[in-house]
Amino acid sequence: MFGYYLDLALRSLGRNKVLTALMVLAIAVGIGASMTTLTVVHLLSGDPLPGRSQAIFYPQVDADPKNKDSSEPLDMLDYRSALDLWSAKRADRQVMLVQSQVRLNTADAGKPAVMMPMLSATADFFSMFNVPFRYGGPWSEQDDASRARVAVITDDLNQKLFAGENSVGRVLRLRNSDVRIVGVLKPWRPSPQFYAVRGGRFAAGDTSDFYAKPEDVITPFFTGLDVNDGNFQQFTCWQMPPHPGHLQDSPCVWVAFWVQINDANRVAAYRRFVADYAAQQQAIGRFTHSGNTRMRSLMGWLDFNGVLPSNVRLQAWLAVAFLAICLVNMIGLLLAKFLRRSGEIGLRRALGASRAAVFAQYMVESGLIGLIGGVCGWLLTMAGLWFIRQQPVAYADLARLDVPMFLLTFVAAIGASLLAGALPAVRACRVVPAWQLKSL
Amino acid sequence: MSLRIMFKMLQRHALMPTLVMLQVALACAILCNVLFLVWQRVQPMVAPSGLAEDELVLVDQIFSRTHTFSAAEAHAGQLALAHTPGVRSASSALGLPMIGMVMVDYNLKSPKGVTVGVNGYFGEGLVKTLGLQLVEGRDFLPSEYRDFGITQQSSDVDKPSSPEPVIITQSLERQLFDGQSAVGKNLSVTDDPEHGYFVVGVVRHLLRNQLTLATDGRGDNTLLAAKRIGDTALLSYAVRIDPAMRDVAMHGISETVKRQFGAEMGEDAQVRIATYAQTRHEALKSQRAALWLFAGVTIAVILVTAIGIMGLTGFWVQRRTRQIGIQRALGARRSQVLRYFMLENLLIAGGGVLVGMALAYVANGLLMHYYELPRLPWNYLPIGGAAVLLLGQLAVLAPARRAAEVPPVVATRAI
Repeated sequence: MFGYYLDLALRSLGRNKVLTALMVLAIAVGIGASMTTLTVVHLLSGDPLPGRSQAIFYPQVDADPKNKDSSEPLDMLDYRSALDLWSAKRADRQVMLVQSQVRLNTADAGKPAVMMPMLSATADFFSMFNVPFRYGGPWSEQDDASRARVAVITDDLNQKLFAGENSVGRVLRLRNSDVRIVGVLKPWRPSPQFYAVRGGRFAAGDTSDFYAKPEDVITPFFTGLDVNDGNFQQFTCWQMPPHPGHLQDSPCVWVAFWVQINDANRVAAYRRFVADYAAQQQAIGRFTHSGNTRMRSLMGWLDFNGVLPSNVRLQAWLAVAFLAICLVNMIGLLLAKFLRRSGEIGLRRALGASRAAVFAQYMVESGLIGLIGGVCGWLLTMAGLWFIRQQPVAYADLARLDVPMFLLTFVAAIGASLLAGALPAVRACRVVPAWQLKSL
Repeated sequence: MSLRIMFKMLQRHALMPTLVMLQVALACAILCNVLFLVWQRVQPMVAPSGLAEDELVLVDQIFSRTHTFSAAEAHAGQLALAHTPGVRSASSALGLPMIGMVMVDYNLKSPKGVTVGVNGYFGEGLVKTLGLQLVEGRDFLPSEYRDFGITQQSSDVDKPSSPEPVIITQSLERQLFDGQSAVGKNLSVTDDPEHGYFVVGVVRHLLRNQLTLATDGRGDNTLLAAKRIGDTALLSYAVRIDPAMRDVAMHGISETVKRQFGAEMGEDAQVRIATYAQTRHEALKSQRAALWLFAGVTIAVILVTAIGIMGLTGFWVQRRTRQIGIQRALGARRSQVLRYFMLENLLIAGGGVLVGMALAYVANGLLMHYYELPRLPWNYLPIGGAAVLLLGQLAVLAPARRAAEVPPVVATRAI
């Protein structure tokens, strides 16, 4: 029976090509617009560390004397607090990290030096954030302590400098120091660049820079401070730093600190530890207040920073509203199409077709329109994502259709057209045969 | 035909009109909000800047990681730039139009208690360098300027005992002093009520640099303060050039900046030297991108709605062919049939617009929540509604024409 209905549907669609084209176009444009924007939302709002994120936390204490217990603590830590918390080693893993711009001189005399972003982090960075290696591996805690001149580079930089070969053991010249490469990452593109997220509440919704690529050069934390001394930038200061760029003893916050706590029962204990630390610092006079410590989970921290750019959210709203218009439009057009064939329906009913059969026939027809609309909508989604990839935004390279969203495109298109077809199909199967036969 | 009969007719076959109404309502809700979003983006683009735009070159991000520029260095740079061939004048400035890197904001309070949020520009001789048009009062006197920098702003420096002179825009004069002349009047700032200001001059226009706030008549909320740039880590200059010597001047400015500050800026100098037009183009990039998006949405919504109305009304007409034939046979004229369908569409779309306006308001509430958008002013609702009604009338024209073409003879067939 299904095959027969499909045949009927194809004939019917062929009969009025303009109307069919309009319906397919409506569903395709609606689906294309919403799937493009929803794909971006899906890609930008996912969990950057699936399976691990609930064990990752961002402790905050507040060294700013101008703040009070009632104010939100600053988004990063001062050097002293970060170092104290990190050295205590009370969590399963802990990492201090800081980003800076560094001059990279290649050994090739022909190539000019370039400025590039560098990440300096302690050794747990790689194991804590599941960073995948292609060649070599992370440095050891020993290297952290001894300020070893080593580095890990990304796959991108390895392609650029060493044509993708195993470059472990080769030497990079960062500013005026030589560092030995100990590891090369596999392509790694967390979305967002979660470990560097901060200050979202001051961004007025313009948060697309949170989706930048990871830094190409990663050095041990203290090595980085030595190598690139004088080139560090504060998140903010409560007084002018005495030596701009050298922030170790400055009245500034500039270090990010993350911890991993695997056992959920020990989270409260760590929270208490952070609060106690602040209280102790207040007691010795380094802090003016200690009541506003925080320890948000990774996803909580991303939420607090409102990482999803507000114009992405706006576009998704607009696209879904637009899909609603397209659906109402399609209900109308299908109704017009089906009821125009009242005579035919009357004849089928008079010859013994049940209402269910008529309903099924028209649902098959709606579903077919949905399928064609889905294919066109998928093409439009691909075009839409291509367009987004051409935009000058940090997340441009992320905009690709993954398998779930690909499947969702078709489910949404067929689902939407079945939904739109239901009302017209019900009307069609209620046609009274006798009336229609009389007017034939 | 009377409206009562038309309503009866619509009631009896409620499905088609309901669908059209729903579509019109959704279109109206989306268009009202998009219209509002568009206007929010367009306002900063069309606001008058008050500057000598053709003659202005902006130099910013003169920055050193290791060195704090002193007041003397800032001033030496200003002199060197002013003496560059092709340059008419130069001012070391803090806060410049179309540059959002550094913003100064004040909450100004008039003696009557009106408060207005404004952006401030600091720098010596800015009225002349920016090419502002002074409509009342005077420019600052050379003796009125005070140094402003890292060390000067900290609390250990004595507060000036006399009020500080400022120059405001005509728009601010209107907002703060109710249309009376502002010259010679006092102002205060809500954060620091001790410190007084008084107005010495009024300029016609001066666009603020916080572009997202340059909407709803707030574009000219700008003041000039009599402050000379003191020691700072970040320098910027406004330079007014002779437009006939643009190339010479641009080259000269770049050389002068390199000579004056090249040594301190070091390896990663990011200094930007651009004409006002270039800076403006760059600053409005995201606004333009948003406008393209909104234009696309608008066109798509209009097209889909028009197609829907045409398709549905076409079907509606086809179903009533015989009735129309009877009407024609009984003496209805073509124009009457045409008018009937147009009026019917107006009724249906009118209902849709009413629902749509309510929907637009609700949608705006959601947008306010999720997108930090101001409340939709009520006057957007009738504008959006009228646009959708017009769209409905245009879309119904073709099917209504077809209805009017139905010959009376149809009435005699197959009864």
